[in-house]
Amino acid sequence: MRNKRILAVSLVMGLILSAYWTPYTWLSQVHAWTGSFLFWVMFVLAAILLNVWITSGWRDSR
Amino acid sequence: MEGFPVNPAWVGWGIAVYVAASLWIALLSRSGKAQNLSDYFLAKRSLGGVVAALSYGATTYSAFMLIGLAGLTYQGGVGALGFELIYLSGMVLVAFFGPRFWLVGKKFGYVTPSEMLGDRYDSKAVAVTTAVAGCLFLIPYSAVQLAGVGYLLEGMTDGAVSFTAGAVLATVLSVVLAWIAGMRSVAWTDAFQSIVMIVTATAVVLVVIEALGGFGTFFDTLEREHPAWMAVPGNGFFSFATFFGLTLPWFFFSISNPQVSQRLFMPATLREMRRMLLIFMVFGLVYTLVAILWGFSALIRFPDLPSADLATPKLLSSELVPPVLGVVVMVGILAAAISTVDSILLTLSSLFARDIYGNLRRNPDWTRQLQVGKIVIPLIAVLAYVFARLKLNLIAVLAVSSSAGLLVMVPAIFGAFFWKRGTAAGVLASVIGGGLLVLWLEWTQTKLWGQASGVWGLSISTVLFVTVSLFTRKPEHKAEQFLGYLKKSLEEKGVM
Repeated sequence: MRNKRILAVSLVMGLILSAYWTPYTWLSQVHAWTGSFLFWVMFVLAAILLNVWITSGWRDSR
Repeated sequence: MEGFPVNPAWVGWGIAVYVAASLWIALLSRSGKAQNLSDYFLAKRSLGGVVAALSYGATTYSAFMLIGLAGLTYQGGVGALGFELIYLSGMVLVAFFGPRFWLVGKKFGYVTPSEMLGDRYDSKAVAVTTAVAGCLFLIPYSAVQLAGVGYLLEGMTDGAVSFTAGAVLATVLSVVLAWIAGMRSVAWTDAFQSIVMIVTATAVVLVVIEALGGFGTFFDTLEREHPAWMAVPGNGFFSFATFFGLTLPWFFFSISNPQVSQRLFMPATLREMRRMLLIFMVFGLVYTLVAILWGFSALIRFPDLPSADLATPKLLSSELVPPVLGVVVMVGILAAAISTVDSILLTLSSLFARDIYGNLRRNPDWTRQLQVGKIVIPLIAVLAYVFARLKLNLIAVLAVSSSAGLLVMVPAIFGAFFWKRGTAAGVLASVIGGGLLVLWLEWTQTKLWGQASGVWGLSISTVLFVTVSLFTRKPEHKAEQFLGYLKKSLEEKGVM
């Protein structure tokens, strides 16, 4: 569980950092909706999937 | 072609229908007299995932979205999308903190996040201080909503409905909806309002984009006529420093803002909490996209407005939006504002009753606390209304500085769950020191090294929390009790 948590936190941090870094570097000269606009939408979809995974083990008592 | 003001009579009807429906739902949601504080403030800790998600959405998303965020888009372009989606991605904090709040809330009977912090750090001063900080920063935030409604109605009817009338209406309705049945009426009317919010906003955006030539033409026009708005830093508005300064406080919103962190105590089961989290994220993505597209539509149709805050009222009363739909969307924005304010009112009243009154008086029983809480609801509302009358500009800026102020609680919250060494003195130093710094920076409009107040607030509060904690005695017994319980339960419940 501890290893899973470390992995999850790393993935989350990587994803968040990319949301700052990518649009301000690679995509800063792409003046089309397929640039930062699309990137950020995909980023949130990835975040949702990450959340699905992180919470997949939650279980209530009988 | 110039737009025309919407017929005030239609506005009146729209509001009347909305008010009637909300009141009806609020009254229906009552379920007998409150048996204890968690009945009134936490809906008995038994909310289902769908209602919890919709209520979360209505509480989080306010008039800011279709007015402020649309205005930010109008002014700075796609950076506004990034800003709002980074906020949404912050919900990943709920995947870790959600179950932790929930478990200790149930085990130790916490009604408010301040109570939880006070208990964890074994200090009434912590409970009182964090509650006061919550009140201090959320009242301006509420005022922004009330002002937003005032501007909206005034703009749409060209002054026939005055700013005052709009703000008063929003204030009174928020108080009533919170008062009728506490969190029950708030959650159920929130659910209703969130559906109104998202359906009306989506409908109008689809209509407007169609009128502007469809999605293909829409993006082509943007790329051709406003290319700088399609990237960051783009036209310069969203410099990295601005972007970072805006996003930082909002990323931690789900744990720093008590009106939403208190909702982590409310789901009936972990399964319902998971539902709440995931449904809310989808809701948030859709609603965000709609608000951004709305802002871009205003940019295309009215490229030369004197103020970004005019983008929404102008577009709503333009020929692109059929008048009836315009009124319906206006009601949607009203719903967004009121659902945010009534949640804040309820949370602040619980903070006041439980953590301020409850700690400063000698152990008043829960019925007294509930009475005090109920009285405080309209009092706080009046305070917010007064603040709203000061008519401060740029709605987005105010909302952000409130969030920057609450950001200083984040180290204490992380410490509560992940650092045994944290102490009450550390919390007090971080919250008071960080809070005062943010207030001073905002008051003097200072940007140290070009960075926003929230950046400094969080940095200083983290440093203070850690250093002061290391030099003071930790609450050995309480920390052991709190964290010991969690360690066992989290493992049992499959939480990371």
